[in-house]
Amino acid sequence: MLTLHQAGLITIPTIAPLDGTIRPGELLVIVGPNGAGKSTLLSMLSGFRNAEQGALHLDGKPLREWPIAELANRRALVAQQELPGFDWQTDELLSLGSNPAKSLVAALLDDLDLTHLAKRSVLSLSGGERQRVMIARGACQLLSRGSPTAKDGGILLLDEPTSALDIGQQQRLMRQLRGWAAQHRMAIVCVLHDLNLASTYADRVWLLHQGQRIDHGLPSQVLNPATIAKIYAAELQHIEGGPHGKPLLALAP
Amino acid sequence: MIAILNTDRFRVRLPVSRTTRVLVGLTATLLLALAWAAASGALGISPWEVLRGQADPLSIQVWWQLRLPRLLLGVAVGAMLAGSGAAMQGLFRNPLADPTLLGLASGAGLFVALWIVLFQDSGASSLYGQFAAGFLGALCVCLIVFGIAKRQGGGSAAVMTLLLAGLAINTLAGAGGGVLAFIASDEQLRQLSLWGMGTLTNALWRTTALALVLIAAALWLLMRSARELDLLQLGEATAHAAGLDASRLKRRVVVATSLGVGLCVALTGVIGFLGLLVPHCLRLWLGPGHRLLLPASMLGGALLLVVADTLARTVAAPAEIPVGLLTSLLGGPYFLYLLMRRNRAC
Repeated sequence: MLTLHQAGLITIPTIAPLDGTIRPGELLVIVGPNGAGKSTLLSMLSGFRNAEQGALHLDGKPLREWPIAELANRRALVAQQELPGFDWQTDELLSLGSNPAKSLVAALLDDLDLTHLAKRSVLSLSGGERQRVMIARGACQLLSRGSPTAKDGGILLLDEPTSALDIGQQQRLMRQLRGWAAQHRMAIVCVLHDLNLASTYADRVWLLHQGQRIDHGLPSQVLNPATIAKIYAAELQHIEGGPHGKPLLALAP
Repeated sequence: MIAILNTDRFRVRLPVSRTTRVLVGLTATLLLALAWAAASGALGISPWEVLRGQADPLSIQVWWQLRLPRLLLGVAVGAMLAGSGAAMQGLFRNPLADPTLLGLASGAGLFVALWIVLFQDSGASSLYGQFAAGFLGALCVCLIVFGIAKRQGGGSAAVMTLLLAGLAINTLAGAGGGVLAFIASDEQLRQLSLWGMGTLTNALWRTTALALVLIAAALWLLMRSARELDLLQLGEATAHAAGLDASRLKRRVVVATSLGVGLCVALTGVIGFLGLLVPHCLRLWLGPGHRLLLPASMLGGALLLVVADTLARTVAAPAEIPVGLLTSLLGGPYFLYLLMRRNRAC
C-alpha cells in the first residue's frame, strides 16, 4: 500500500501537494491533458524523483528510506516508449531485473499474446509488440521478486501502456491488468490518454491539470463532460447510457 | 521427407552452459595464440627449451626479459581496451561508445605527453607519474563526456553529440600534442615519438608487473558491474525501479575505465578500435547480456592484440609495424562482413 501525505514537487515540473492511498488490488488511472504532470507524478510515486515536500510511505515505511534493491521487490515501472539498448531477445528482456521461473515467463508471454515472439529480437518487433514486452517485464519483476511474506502483489506503475496498441490489444491489456490486480492483489497505477478506456476499466481516477490533482474518485464522477471539456479545451458529445451504463465521451465533429 | 525432420533434434547438447562453453573456448584459443606468439619473433627461440633451461643464454635473456613481458602486456592491454569498450557501450547504451572515439585515449595521451615534457627529468618516479597522468587525462575526458551526455538526455541527438564531443576532444588533444612536440627538447621528442606510436615495444618487467596488477583490478571492477549494466539497458528510470543504483554504477565504470585506459595509453600509446570492434563483433555472436559479453570481450581483446602484435613484429622482421595499424586492418573487414550478414538475416 502506497500512501501520500501532502507529497509534492517544487522544482519544475512541479506537482502540487496531494494526499491519497493506493491500495492493493485496485486499478488507479491518472488522466490529464498533455503537460499536466502525469509522468512526473509517476516518477515521484516510483521514488525516482524524491518528493520535495510532504511524504510518501510504502507499506508504512517512508519511500526514500527503502534501499533501491528492496524497493524493486515491491514496485515496478514501465516508462513511456523506451527503446531497449541493443538487440535483446524477448524472453531475455523479460528476465532483466529478476530471476524468474521459466513457467512465469511463459505465463506472462501468454497473458499478453507474445508467446510466438519469445525468441525474436526486441528491436525487430513492432511498437505495439515491444510495448507489451515492456509491460510483461514490469509484471515479471514484481511477480518473481515479490517476497513470499508480502500480503499483496506490490505496485505496478505504467506510463501510457496503450499508446501503441490497437483496440483489440488495448482491451486484452486492460482486462489483463484487472486480472493481475485481482489475482495477485497488485496495485496498478496507469497513465492513460483514452478517457473511455479509463471510464470502462478504472476503479478510481485521478484527474491532473497543470501539476495539480483537481479531482479524484470513481470514473463516473470524475470524467464528467463539463469538467473534461473545460480542462482539455475540447468540444465533446456526451453519449449517455454507453455499455454497462458507463458514460462515453466523444469528440464533436 | 527431409524437410519434416527437425534439425534441432540432431544438435549435440553438451551438459554445460553456453557461457561456460564460450569462455572456455576463448581461453583455450588465447592460450594457443600465446604459445604461438611465444615461439615467434625475429630471433627463433623455442619456449620449451627456454623453460627447460636448454637454450643458449642470449635466447633465454631475450625470451624472459623482452618477449614474455611483451606477451603479458598484450594480454592485459587487449583485455582492458576491449573490456572498457564493452562497458562504455553498455553505460551509454550506444554501440558506438569507445575509449578512442570518445576521446578518452587521446585525453590520456595528452596528459602523458604533458608529463613527459614538464616532469621528464624526475627519474625513477617518471613511470608512476606517467600512469597517474594517463589516469587523470582519461578521467577528465570521461567527466566532460558524461556532462555533455547528461545535458542531452537520451535519444539519437545525444549519440551525435557524443561523437562530435569525442571528435572535438581528439582534435584538441592532437593540437595540444603538436604544441608539446614543438616546445619539447630533442631527448623528450624522441621519447614522445617512441611512446606515441601505439606499440607494445616498451614492455619491461618493471612496467608490466604494475600494469598487470592495476589492470586486473580495473577488469574486476568492470566484471562486478555486468548485471547492473544489463539492467541499465531498460532506461534509467525503469532500471532504477528494477533495483539499479545508476550513479554508483556510473562512478564504478568511469573510475575503472579511466584507470585502465589511462594506464594502457601511458604504456603503449593509443591502440585504436579494439574497444569498438571486439565487443561489437562478440555482441552480434553472443547477444547483448553483459555477464557473458564482458568476459568474452576481455578474452577476445587479449586474443586479437596478441595475434596482431605477433604479426606486427614478425611480418617485416626485424622491422616492426605499429600494432595499432594492424588491429584496424585485421578487424575492419571482419566487422564489415558481420554487419552485412546481419542485415541479410533481418
